[in-house]
This record gives sequence, structure tokens and C-alpha cells, in this order.
Amino acid sequence: MTFLQFAYRNVVRNRRIYAGFFMASVFSVTVFFLYSMLLFHPTIEDRFVQEIAVVGMGIAEITLFIFTVFFLFYSMRAFLQARSHEFGILLHLGMEKRQLNRLVFLETMFIGISAIGIGTSIGFTFSKFFFMVVREIVMLPALPLYVSWQPFALTIGAFLGLFMVMALLTPYFIQSGKVVDLIRGEITEGGMGAYSKIRGYLGLLFLGLSYLLAALTSQSIVLSLFIFLPPLAMIGTYFFFKDSVPLLLHKIQGVRRLYWRGFRILSISEGIVRLRENAQMFFIVTIVSTLAFMSVGTLASLTSFASQYRELNPLALVYASTQENPDEQAHIELLFNELEAEEIDYVLTKFRILKQTSTFTDSNVGILNITDVNKLAIDLGYLPMRLVEGEALFLPPSSSSFESLNERTVQTTLEESDIDIKINGAYPYHLFASNSVGQNVIVLNDFDYRKILSTGGSRLRDSMMYYAFHVPEWEQTKDVGFEIEQAVTESFILNESDVLPYSFDNPGSNYAIIRTTFSLLLFIGLLLAVVFLLAAGSFIYFRLYTTLEQDRKKFDVLRRLGITDRELKKIINRQLIPQFFFPWGVALLHSSFAFLSLQVIWDALAEISIVKELVLVLLGFTILQGVYFYLIRWRYLTHIKASE
Amino acid sequence: MSTIVKLKEVTKIYESRVMHRALNRLNFEVLEGEFVAVMGPSGSGKSTLLNLISTIDLPTYGQVFVDGIEPETLSKNKLALFRRHHLGFVFQEINLLNMLTIEENIVLPLTLDGLPVKEMEKRVAVVAKRLGLTDILTKRPEELSGGQAQRTAIGRALIHKPKILLADEPTGNLDSKSAKDVLELLSEINEAQNRTIIMVTHDPIAASYCDRVLFIKDGAFFNEIYKDERRQTFYQRILNVLSLLGGHHDISAVRLP
Repeated sequence: MTFLQFAYRNVVRNRRIYAGFFMASVFSVTVFFLYSMLLFHPTIEDRFVQEIAVVGMGIAEITLFIFTVFFLFYSMRAFLQARSHEFGILLHLGMEKRQLNRLVFLETMFIGISAIGIGTSIGFTFSKFFFMVVREIVMLPALPLYVSWQPFALTIGAFLGLFMVMALLTPYFIQSGKVVDLIRGEITEGGMGAYSKIRGYLGLLFLGLSYLLAALTSQSIVLSLFIFLPPLAMIGTYFFFKDSVPLLLHKIQGVRRLYWRGFRILSISEGIVRLRENAQMFFIVTIVSTLAFMSVGTLASLTSFASQYRELNPLALVYASTQENPDEQAHIELLFNELEAEEIDYVLTKFRILKQTSTFTDSNVGILNITDVNKLAIDLGYLPMRLVEGEALFLPPSSSSFESLNERTVQTTLEESDIDIKINGAYPYHLFASNSVGQNVIVLNDFDYRKILSTGGSRLRDSMMYYAFHVPEWEQTKDVGFEIEQAVTESFILNESDVLPYSFDNPGSNYAIIRTTFSLLLFIGLLLAVVFLLAAGSFIYFRLYTTLEQDRKKFDVLRRLGITDRELKKIINRQLIPQFFFPWGVALLHSSFAFLSLQVIWDALAEISIVKELVLVLLGFTILQGVYFYLIRWRYLTHIKASE
Repeated sequence: MSTIVKLKEVTKIYESRVMHRALNRLNFEVLEGEFVAVMGPSGSGKSTLLNLISTIDLPTYGQVFVDGIEPETLSKNKLALFRRHHLGFVFQEINLLNMLTIEENIVLPLTLDGLPVKEMEKRVAVVAKRLGLTDILTKRPEELSGGQAQRTAIGRALIHKPKILLADEPTGNLDSKSAKDVLELLSEINEAQNRTIIMVTHDPIAASYCDRVLFIKDGAFFNEIYKDERRQTFYQRILNVLSLLGGHHDISAVRLP
């Protein structure tokens, strides 16, 4: 048996211990590889959405890498600590420290190289599927699978370097104490552990304070809270696990009526020991899970914003033109042709918006015809309205102004045509995007409208043509009128938009960009969150395995004392559930309160609620965590029972 | 006196990769209130025998009766409850639960049955006084000497007033002074409370405290001797049988008082 073989067998035969760690590493390599496949994709051009995709993937890649560094670092240290007994034996047999370092290096590299190998292969296998998902989201024509050395080089280079550094550094974590101590193993189970009462209460206070602040936050202070709250909550969480929970459990231990009750005596004392050993891990898992919940929740709430965009913009294409516009016919022609070329069904409603001066306000008022408005309303699925001679309605510039306008009644005269009208209330349906028709607009009855047309005189030249294209499948229009849009954008950049005799609006295209961006970020965030979750689970899994022998002995004693199988399961449940769901529950609480303050920001930006998305996100994570729990409990039970 | 434990033609075969016959047609009876030692070389089946009586293992052939029940006919659940109520265990590796205090370790079997706290406290007080543990009740197992720890384990085994106490090398890890204390304690419990004790041991001195010693070899009955007037001569007779038994056996140095 050569030294290399020895190292190899050490890893392969300890695979049970390394399984969780290995799985998390493989998955992290896989996701990293998938991101880099997209990053280097040859057909990605410099379009806005694709740029966002690339930048998003790049950021995700860096986040993932940094997280993996921490994850590997922590795991490796824990592994080596758990194996101190084994290292003690090796040193006892006369192994040099230098050789021991080499052994650890080789082992780490075995794990690292196989994780990279398997991770990239899985990544490559799934990259076609991944491209399909991305293509669906970004709405690219096609993202063919390609073979290039770049993504491989990036992934393998990054992770190989990472593992190499880890492998070189980790041996220094092996306690270089006495061999005897190593052989005995540093198992200092039991004892209350040193917790400080002050920090215990402080932890509770900090958490309570940050929750309170997050819940009571208002728009004026929310931004300053964003700097102040996260550190407070983090310190609070750390103290909470390290000191507050032991403090509370100790308090329970003092009350025998509560403590000496069935398995409580076992689960509480066990809980204290586990907590003392794992407080740091619980803290990390909590923070990581909170981050995962937060990022996915935030992204999900952005998606909810995108879906409300559609309600704000009922029309698919809007072209408005003044009388002097020489391109009007050409542009409309162009839109017709493009719509027909893409085989999109549409209904065009053409408005002539007249301009008059109202004596009531002495300012300009835009005038629409009730027949045209009714036509559009029917197309959009609303009931038509009726107006008799002399009557008009306000057209609210935005849906929030409807309430106030609806209560107003105004008697006015249109100066140029000398027509008396009574404006009574507001038009109830939301047909136009906010402010797209104008600020001060009324809907007039046909009779008076025709009268203005025939007698309007000089002001007729000010009237606008307004083309409203209603397309039921409105997202399809995202490429229609691209040329016109570019011309508008150009004049906007040159600061000439005031002179431009026409305006063009394509919410379908805007919507497509917003939606795509958010769902892409959500997708990236979800993948990251899964990596975080797996890593958190792997910490717990590993901890369970290192104490497996002790646990077995303990359950052996209990079995002899006469514990039924059901009771055994109950005890194990009480031991595992807190480890899985306690940090996770705290994370859930943290993010719920964080979202309470996020909601304030959303209320300020747009009147939308993010509750539904959040509940969905948190529910999804709960299910995932539940599945993971059952999986690990099943393995654990099998191993505990194997000793029977 | 009635029979409390009875083994009839018991054979136990372990079938893993290599078939191993741990017990071979063994007949064995224990009367109520007896203090019996089981001796034999390593691998003779002592622990298997104890496991069968403990009801955590079942015989391949033959029958086992413990305190009126036949473990084979009961469900695992019922067996667990039976152990909880009728048997007490003392091990070589003292096997106290480190995260609990001495008091909590002793009271553990009772909490599993959900007794009222008052009753538990009363019983702990009685047992602790009797075993001389009163002063160390709030300590943790790691702070105790071997003898104290084993006395705690005996306390845990007695708190629920079991009919039979099963001991597996209870003095195996103790120094001679603590071993003597523990053995005297066991024989006192046996005499004062008329509690049946079955003890597996390697140590002829430990065996000399018993009423009767059963010797087994390769899973089968080898010999059986009863105590006489003086422990000294009983010890000598045990040594004689052990030397007949051969096998390799670590006969401890004579350290009788």
C-alpha cells in the first residue's frame, strides 16, 4: 500500500462522512459551471436583457464562489477536528507531521478533483436543459448547446485553485497538541458550557429590538434602518444561539415539574449539549438561510411588480401624432405591416383628440368622443357608456385620481366653439396608461363633438391623432415598431423629444424587458438559494455523523432500560427536529420581519402587496427542508438501528 | 423459593458471514432471591446468556422464561415495557448519560413512566441515602470516581424496584477498593431486599460474593459450585474450577482482605 493508496482509501472508505459535504460541493460546482456556460455563450449579443443575464450570472457566480470558500473552510476544519483520534494514532505510529500534512492534502485533493469532475459533467449534461429554461425566460430565439474550453477552464481553474488552497491550509487546523490528547479525542461532552447571562439577555433584547423596529418602520426611517438593522439582528442572533437559548433551557431545567417529564429530561439536556457544540453552525445556517429567503423573496416581489404592469397598461401599442407630422401615414402603415407579418390579431381604435379652452379653468382641455371611447371599452371587455347632448365626463389621468374627479361637477363653456357643457363625474374604466392621453381630458357626447369639429376653427390644427392598438396577446408585440421606438429614443437622447411631432409607446416591449429581467434574476437567485440550503443541510448531516458512535451507545443504554421503538423514534425526532428547524425557524422569523420593512418600500414605489409571493417562497423552502429532514432522519435511523 | 429465570435447552446461533454458535443447549435456572455469578473464558457465551435474560436478544432454539414471561411470545413494544418495569441493568462501561446530573441519571427510568415529581424525589432520596450518593446528586458523571459512577448506575438500576438485577462485569473498570464497595453493596441489596441478581464476571473475587457460580465454556454448561461458610475457601474453589476450565484467563492477584 503506497502512501497515495492510503490517502485514497481513507477517503473512499469514509464516504459516509463525506457524503453531505461532497454533495454540496458537487452541486455548487454544477451551478457554477452552468452559470459560466451562459457567460461564455457565443450567440449572446449585446442586447439589454442579455446583458442583464450575463451580469446577473456573473454576480451570482462570484457570490457562489465566496460562499463556497466559507463553506469549504468551515467543513474542512470540522472534519479534521472530528478525525483527531485517527490522526493521533497515525502520529503515535510514528508519522511525521509533514507526512500528515501531505496525507490531508492528498485527501482533500481527491475529494476536490472528483467533486469538480462530477460537478462539471453533471453541469454539462444539464446545460441543454438549463439553456432551454433561460431561453424561455429571456425569450431568445435559440440558445444552442456549444462546446468551448472557456467554461470548463473557468470552473475547473476556480475550484481547483480553491481546493488546493484549502488542502494546503487545513492541516494547520489540526491541533498540534499532545499525541495522547489526540488519541483520547477531544470529546468533552456534557457540562452546561459557559454562557454569559448578560449576553443571553442582550441577545433577546437585540432581537426583540430589531423585530420591533422592522415591524414599526415607516417610510421616513426605513433607509437608515437598512444600515442599522442587519448588524443588530446579526449580533442578536449570535448571542441568541450562544447564550440566550442555553439560558432559557437552563431556566426550564430549574422547574422540575416541566423538566422531569417523559423524554423532556433527555431532549432538553441533549439540546443544551448540541447547542453548545453547534451554536456557531446554527448561527451560520440561520444567516445563510435568511439571506436565501431574502434574496428569493425580494426577487419574487419584483416579479409581482412586473405582473401588475400589465394592468397599468391595457393597450399594446400607442401612437400619437400631431397634425404636422409628415411620417404619420408611413408609421401607421409600418405598424400594420409588422403586425400582419407577425400574424398578430389586433383592433385599432383611432381617436381624434380635439383641443379647446375651458372657461372654467381658462386652460387647455383635450376632448375625446364617447363613440370612440365606447368602441375601445367594448374591445377591452367593458360596458359602453351613454352621454346626452351637453354632457361630458372627466377622463382620469390615473386610476388613483378617479375617486376625487368622480365627485366633481363642473359647468363650463368651450371657448372656441362656444358650447356649454356640464362635466359630471369621471369615466370609470381604465383604458389608457396613466397620463398617456394627457392631464386634462374629457369625454364628450357625439353631438357636441361633431359641433366642435365643424365649428372649431383655428384650434382644429392643434388636435392630435391617437392610434390605440388593442392586441389580446399583447406580449407578442414586443418587436413591433422597433424602428419608431429607436427614433423616439434617439430624439430623447438628443434632447429633442419636445420637437418630435409624434410619440410611440410599446408597453409590450417594456413589459417584456421588465418581466424577463426579474424572472431571470429570480431564477439565478433560486439556484443560489438551493446551494445555500444544501450546504446548510450538509453541516447538520456531518455533525450527526461525527457523533454517531456516541449516539449509538446512548441509545443502546436506553434500549436496555426499556425504551420502545416508538419512543426511540420520538426521542430521535426531538433531537433532530430542533437541529433542522430551529435555525431555519429563526431565519424564517428574521426574513418575515425584514419583509415587513420591505413592504414599506414597496408601498412607496408602487401600490402592490408582496405577501402572496412571499408565502409561496417560504412555503417552497419549507417543503424542501422537510424533504431533506426526512431523508437525513431516514439515514440516521438506519445507522442507529444497525447496532441492534 | 420459586424459579424466576429458566433457560431450557437454549441454543443461540449468530449468522453473519461466519456462522457462530454462541450458546449450545444450555440449561440454567435461577431462584428468586438468588445471587448468581456466570463465569467463563472470553467468548464462552456469558454476554449472550445475559442478553437473552435481558430480553434484548432471542434464542435460536429452546425456551427462555423470565419472571413468568416468555420473551419470544411478546412484541418488541411489550418487551421494552417489561424491561422497564421488571429488570435493572448495571454495565461494565458505566454508561451514565453525560449530559444529565447524577440525580437525573438515577431518576431517568421513572420519568419515562411519567411518575409525579414528588414521588420521584422521594425515591431518589431513599436510593441516594442508601448508596451514599446524597452529597453528589447535583454533580455530573464526568466529575465522579469510578466507584461513585458505578454506584450511581446501580441506583439507576434499582430506582424502579426491579425484581431482577442484571450486571455485566460491574467491577471490570474499578480499582480494588471501589470493586469491593460495589460488591458489598450488591450482596447487601440481595440479602436485605431479597432481590435476584445475575452477574457476569471475569473476576473470581467478584464471583466469591455470590451464592452460586455457573461456569460455561464454548456456550455449554461446564460446572456449577455453591458457596460455603467462608468466602476464602469459596474463592479457592472458584480458582480451582477456573484452572480446570483452561482457556486463557486473567486470574487476578489475590487481594482478599
